[in-house]
Amino acid sequence: MLDLQGYGPRLIEGAGVTVQLAVLSLLLALVLGLFTATAKMSRHWLPHGIATVYTTLIRGVPDLVLMMLLFYGGQIGVNAISDILYYSYDIDIYINFNAFAAGVLTIGFIFGAYMGETFRGAFMAVDNGQIEAGKAYGMSGSLVFRRIRFPQMMRHALPGLSNNWMVLLKTTALVSVIGLTDMVRVAAEASRATHEPFVFLIPVAVAYLLIASVSEWIFARLQKRYDIGFGEQ
Amino acid sequence: MAATPLEVRNIKKRFGDTEVLKGLSLEAQKGDVITLIGASGSGKSTFLRCMNLLEQPDEGEIILHGDTIRFKETRHGREPADWKQVVQMRAKLSMVFQNFNLWAHMTLLQNIIEAPIHVLGKSRKEATDHAHALLERVGLTARANAYPAQMSGGQQQRGAIARALAMDPEVMLFDEPTSALDPELVGDVLKVMRDLANEGRTMVVVTHEMSFARDVSSKVIYLHQGLVEEAGTPDEVLGNPQSPRLKQFLTPNY
Amino acid sequence: MPDISAWFNDLLSGNLIFTATTMGYYWTGLVTTTQLVFLSLVIGLVLAVPLAILRSSKRKWISLPVYLFTYVFRGTPLLVQLYIIYYGVVFFDGIQESVFWPIFREAFYPALIAFTLNTAAYTTEIFRGAIKATAKGEIEAARAYGMSQGLMMRRIIIPSAFRRALPAYGNEVIFMLHASAIASVVTLMDLTGAARYVYSRFYTPFEPFLFVALIYLCLTFAILFFFRFLEKKLLAHLKPQTP
Repeated sequence: MLDLQGYGPRLIEGAGVTVQLAVLSLLLALVLGLFTATAKMSRHWLPHGIATVYTTLIRGVPDLVLMMLLFYGGQIGVNAISDILYYSYDIDIYINFNAFAAGVLTIGFIFGAYMGETFRGAFMAVDNGQIEAGKAYGMSGSLVFRRIRFPQMMRHALPGLSNNWMVLLKTTALVSVIGLTDMVRVAAEASRATHEPFVFLIPVAVAYLLIASVSEWIFARLQKRYDIGFGEQ
Repeated sequence: MAATPLEVRNIKKRFGDTEVLKGLSLEAQKGDVITLIGASGSGKSTFLRCMNLLEQPDEGEIILHGDTIRFKETRHGREPADWKQVVQMRAKLSMVFQNFNLWAHMTLLQNIIEAPIHVLGKSRKEATDHAHALLERVGLTARANAYPAQMSGGQQQRGAIARALAMDPEVMLFDEPTSALDPELVGDVLKVMRDLANEGRTMVVVTHEMSFARDVSSKVIYLHQGLVEEAGTPDEVLGNPQSPRLKQFLTPNY
Repeated sequence: MPDISAWFNDLLSGNLIFTATTMGYYWTGLVTTTQLVFLSLVIGLVLAVPLAILRSSKRKWISLPVYLFTYVFRGTPLLVQLYIIYYGVVFFDGIQESVFWPIFREAFYPALIAFTLNTAAYTTEIFRGAIKATAKGEIEAARAYGMSQGLMMRRIIIPSAFRRALPAYGNEVIFMLHASAIASVVTLMDLTGAARYVYSRFYTPFEPFLFVALIYLCLTFAILFFFRFLEKKLLAHLKPQTP
């Protein structure tokens, strides 16, 4: 049997961190992605410009560098705030820049850009006649969005979202580098301590494959749900 | 005197450098069936789409029951000043499209009750009861729970007419409703439209079906290059065409 | 614009972070990153082409092992793959006594192996997709002219698949550049490693990380433009011609 030399519970905890981190980042990325896509399709130059700079910068710089920038930079920003609080208002608190929150924010922020591109493509794939029919029946812009554009867009977006999610899941491994105890960090620590890397790292690899397989199944079901009404049944 | 349900005056529209509508007007009294005919590119569909502002006319007025749509000038050209007013207007004019445009992710029944519930604020029960009655009218009771992709073109178009009727519209706009259909399916759709005309619906119809224009409409307008070339009763326009262009248009070229 | 140049002078003179020494680190980092990415891409590409052909085989026992390889390497984080190879390389029997040990003792080679296998897996799938997308008619035409399976592969399928795969492969190159940042985790002094080193010495995150972010951005754009140019040249025949 696999002898985890007492690291078992910590590995399970680490897996929990990985999953929580991935799911919360995904939610943030989805929200940011919708905003980005809307901004990119805007006729106004300002939201369009901001969204373009955002997606270009994010896609041009490695995740790890962005993560370190936001994580270490965020800590300094927080320190500066607590300094101001101390010197100006005599409030003495030490705010620890929460590594988990930083991880969620960074990964969500990074994948918001990718999601934005996915959503934009999907929105543009919706047949214009479907939207016109909504307008012609007196639907307001937000109603057309909620009832027609969004549900039809999701059908086109799901393959891209699924792909982004798989990449996001693997990207969470990077948080181990900035000090978050996810399953990769636990496994790497255990490998160094026991000199038995395969015992710890291979189960972690298998865990990623497992999560990926489960997500694939979930996405297939979602796709079925949003494919309703399209194609031959 | 009751106000005119729909009146448009002097509509002009250009796409880039081409002026496609050069000042068109139309007045639909209650019970009128007005057919717009003309070769492709004559501007008849664009004219119809200007009436419910799916296209923004560059000039001209649109008046519903004496209520004039307000416009404002912006950097992008002329736009409606009050989108609420436009939304209310569109709820009173329902359009039937050439490509049906039934919402693909909803069943036929869901298509029909969608706007009555969310735009007119009807209860689900009321909307559903009404929808079933309309489905019976257009002969699609059995297809209530089918998705558009599962229906033939003719069924989709009759479903789309039911969807339009569910709004209790004051004026119905038809944009070449039979052009995308196989010839053997056209008859069913035309029959539904004839019934609507006979019961006194106010309709503006863009069509290539000359028999429909002759038998059903109260007024026929022949457009050529964005202008009205001839207008009048079917007898006048179709029975006794004046301009050589209209004569040629009406001659079947086998 | 005197204001800006004065500001810039100020920035550099009063600055401990952008000095000749730190610039030296960044330069070393740039060289390491470039070597690592370039070598792994080239070797990965060489591996990927035959793998993609095997992966496209109709015979299960040929395609399945390749699929297993790509599934595992695409389904797990590169960081985990790197750790496994970096920590695991000592366990190969006899490697510590062999002539290769001086090479594998350094982090560069485990990183190169991990990156190579990873990009080979992704590239294999990209090529397989392109091979699969070959127009049926082109294959039929080749058959009709009596081409053998091998000849058809070499003369018809592979050349057209290469062109079709180009945009996706461009993305893979950019992905590899960005993924290479994790080399710094196993103590390699690549671009990110240089930034981390400068950060650890001066405890100022913004200058070093923003600076290398900018370098990565420039590299990304260079790759992007290179592939645009390639696509233009190689895919020109697919565009409708204007007489």
